[in-house]
Amino acid sequence: MTPPKPHRVLLDRVSGYADEAAAYMRRRRAARRPFARLYYAGGRAEDHATDSAAAGELFVAAGRLIEVAGRRPKS
Amino acid sequence: MADDGMAAQVSPGAARGALAYLTEMSPDLRGAAILGRDGEVLAGSGEPGRWRDDAAALFEIADRAGDEPVEQVHIGTEQGEVFALRHAGLAAVAVTERFALASLTFFDMRTMLRDLAGETSQPTFVGPEHVESPQREDGDFE
Repeated sequence: MTPPKPHRVLLDRVSGYADEAAAYMRRRRAARRPFARLYYAGGRAEDHATDSAAAGELFVAAGRLIEVAGRRPKS
Repeated sequence: MADDGMAAQVSPGAARGALAYLTEMSPDLRGAAILGRDGEVLAGSGEPGRWRDDAAALFEIADRAGDEPVEQVHIGTEQGEVFALRHAGLAAVAVTERFALASLTFFDMRTMLRDLAGETSQPTFVGPEHVESPQREDGDFE
């Protein structure tokens, strides 16, 4: 069995790094996506699509509360 | 504020102490408030009056979004996360940094409200005889 050509090793390594970076960006995008979840008695939960009217209103209301809370006071 | 539970009689001092303790325990917490059945602010960081109106608006929108009154609300935005919870006629609203542990935050908030409602035999958040210990006095709560 012949060893892989040197340029192949380099290409594999570079494409490996690129794959890692792409996966990181995908995870980051998913994690930063806004969400609105409502929970009801009995444990039922409802996830509202971010482009729905209800979610839009919830984001606005949440934004006001975030503004009220401000930054965490320094201890 | 819709909640089937009986409204607990909670003194503002006990609510302030519980909220200060919650803040002390939660490094991700930016601000929070405890509200009574009529939406009045029992304790809150910053400007209590603003918590009242904005929390009421959040619960009102959340109730309208479904076919029954909501029990918990969790909203995440790029600016932070909002947690709201109703229990025993009381309500708690908290704003945290992004990526706070949701289950832990809700657990602490629920425990706090249960303590204030007198449902627990060994309260975590409310001191004996509702005395505010010096450690729980944050000074930032109205």
